[in-house]
Amino acid sequence: MSSLRPRLIGLVAQQQIISVVRDRRTLFSAIVLPFLILPLMMLGLPLLMGGLFEREAETVSAIAVVGKANMPAELIVLIEANKVVLTEVEDPYALVEAGDYLAALEIPAGFSDLLSQEGEGPSLKLYSKPTSMRSDLISGKLQQAINSYEQEIVAERLAAAGLDRDVLKPLKIERIDASSEAEKNSGMLAWLIPFFMIMWTYTGGQMAAIDATAGEKERGTLEALLVSPVRRSEAVVGKFLATLTFGLSSAIMAILGYFVGGAIMSGVLIRRMGDDAVEIVSMMSGSLSLNWQTALMLILTSLLIAGFIAAILLSIAMFARNYKQAQSYIAPLTFLIIIPAMALQFAEFFTFGNAIYAVPILNALLLIDAIIKGNATVIATIITWVSLIIFTGLLLMFAHSNFKRETVLFRT
Amino acid sequence: MIRVEGLTKNFGKFKAVEDLSFEVKSGEVFGLLGPNGAGKTTTLRMLATLLIPTTGTATIAGFDIAKDSEQLRRNIGVVNGGMGLYDRQTGTEILTYFGKLYSMSKQDIKKRIAVLDELLQLGDTLYRRAGDFSTGMKQKIVIARAVLHDPPVIFFDEATSGLDVMARRAVLDFVTKYPTEGRAVIYSTHVMSEVDELCHRAAIIYQGKMIAVDTIDGLRQQTNAPSLEQAFFKLVERSQADTDSRTEVLV
Repeated sequence: MSSLRPRLIGLVAQQQIISVVRDRRTLFSAIVLPFLILPLMMLGLPLLMGGLFEREAETVSAIAVVGKANMPAELIVLIEANKVVLTEVEDPYALVEAGDYLAALEIPAGFSDLLSQEGEGPSLKLYSKPTSMRSDLISGKLQQAINSYEQEIVAERLAAAGLDRDVLKPLKIERIDASSEAEKNSGMLAWLIPFFMIMWTYTGGQMAAIDATAGEKERGTLEALLVSPVRRSEAVVGKFLATLTFGLSSAIMAILGYFVGGAIMSGVLIRRMGDDAVEIVSMMSGSLSLNWQTALMLILTSLLIAGFIAAILLSIAMFARNYKQAQSYIAPLTFLIIIPAMALQFAEFFTFGNAIYAVPILNALLLIDAIIKGNATVIATIITWVSLIIFTGLLLMFAHSNFKRETVLFRT
Repeated sequence: MIRVEGLTKNFGKFKAVEDLSFEVKSGEVFGLLGPNGAGKTTTLRMLATLLIPTTGTATIAGFDIAKDSEQLRRNIGVVNGGMGLYDRQTGTEILTYFGKLYSMSKQDIKKRIAVLDELLQLGDTLYRRAGDFSTGMKQKIVIARAVLHDPPVIFFDEATSGLDVMARRAVLDFVTKYPTEGRAVIYSTHVMSEVDELCHRAAIIYQGKMIAVDTIDGLRQQTNAPSLEQAFFKLVERSQADTDSRTEVLV
């Protein structure tokens, strides 16, 4: 590449940013949407699900039963305490299958007698549809009542034999959380931050990349830029910086949205749903325990991966004749990003050598995850940074060489 | 001001421009006349350093198209029919952006916009976003952008294509009124009347080759034709006959 003049690069980048910022739709999808989407999901889903479960718990459900007369009175009381009404039927399987009842219970004849005999006890049949959430919820209630009844019988039998209940628990296990402070605090952040960084840089950067390349061709402004004194290398770097700015802005807005969502969630959900919400809130939100060195590592890694994504977007969008074509060229890239990001959730099941840190995208995902959990190694960090710098440089050189190719520039 | 020597451009096996040579002097409006696909745009793109010639060379305002491309681009302005504008920016913003790319000071840009406003009647195109412009308004800003840095050489490539009659007239009036002293203009078109009206001399390009170059009167006289259009067709027929006879000899 010929030498670069920062003033001209800045002008190209600034012009590109103005052009995209003034497009309300792009501004909304690149800046506003990433900020709103997570708070809405974090708050909306638990509230919606919580509301539905709450309503289900309040509703009195009819349960089909065969042999109600055989049921001990204590078991009936325990079951009906869960807002359940038992209705005597003849064919429980057909009724549950047809959806007339969400669950059914079959009590064998002589149930109480069988229960009082020694040896294996009587067998109950519980009909439900595990694929239906409502059926599963009701059968869960029944199961809980039956378990309670079973525990009562066990307690009675142990007492009759002069044994303490603890005889059934010869061992105790005490679980101690050995996670570092950073791991304890990170919640879902360890997976979400790298995912957002990559996903939203890609989503937010793509409109800027398309506008800067295929958009310029479609509008007929590229030729005017190329006959100006701007060097091709300067035009490429200017457009790259504009793409990077938009991509990073989207990612930062998504991460901010996550923190805002977490704060709102702990306020609203815990107040509304009480202790039940504490677990959901702690699982979904999280906090970063970073010192200045790890914070710097996180920022630099995020910047480098955003640069890599911006360079890919620019290199590919450049080949397109127009917006539509550029979008179809860029769309398959989503898989390149989503698949490693999803796989990151299961990363601890695999053993990686340091060589994995040379693979762009995957390396940043693993490194950001490690930084947040506080266990990033120096060698992994260096390999990741060097790899991202080299690959971004190569992509920009590729984009620059294509920006000189007549077949790419004048493909109309 | 412009010297073109043996300029050739091949796209694979296709010869888009073949051995083109001509000169344009300072103060001259030179026409490139030919049908669509004749090689006019390819020629101007080579002269504007957008395409690299297969063979041949050219100098513009003393700068070689291959060796001094960056300096050369500072000395040219290009207007073509397909050129567009940044839809979400005003005329003034677009002109200021390009002025800065040409290293003009803010004050110089302002002064130059005032001059061009008078010449092109830019009016409220300066303050409205380009997305709301009519094609005529758009073309005025395209012209202003091309000449903002006051280049000594200006290329017009099918600059009136797709314009309505009023907008077309505005372009032609600009070429007529714009001071040619110390400047050279290449006006490329397939519209004979425009060459007839604007150009001092013209080259006729057909199938990538230059088949004639002369003053407009000279072209008419060469062919004993009453109009440039008839002269053009006679020259094309003559060129076609030459090609056919050469092919027969070869066969």
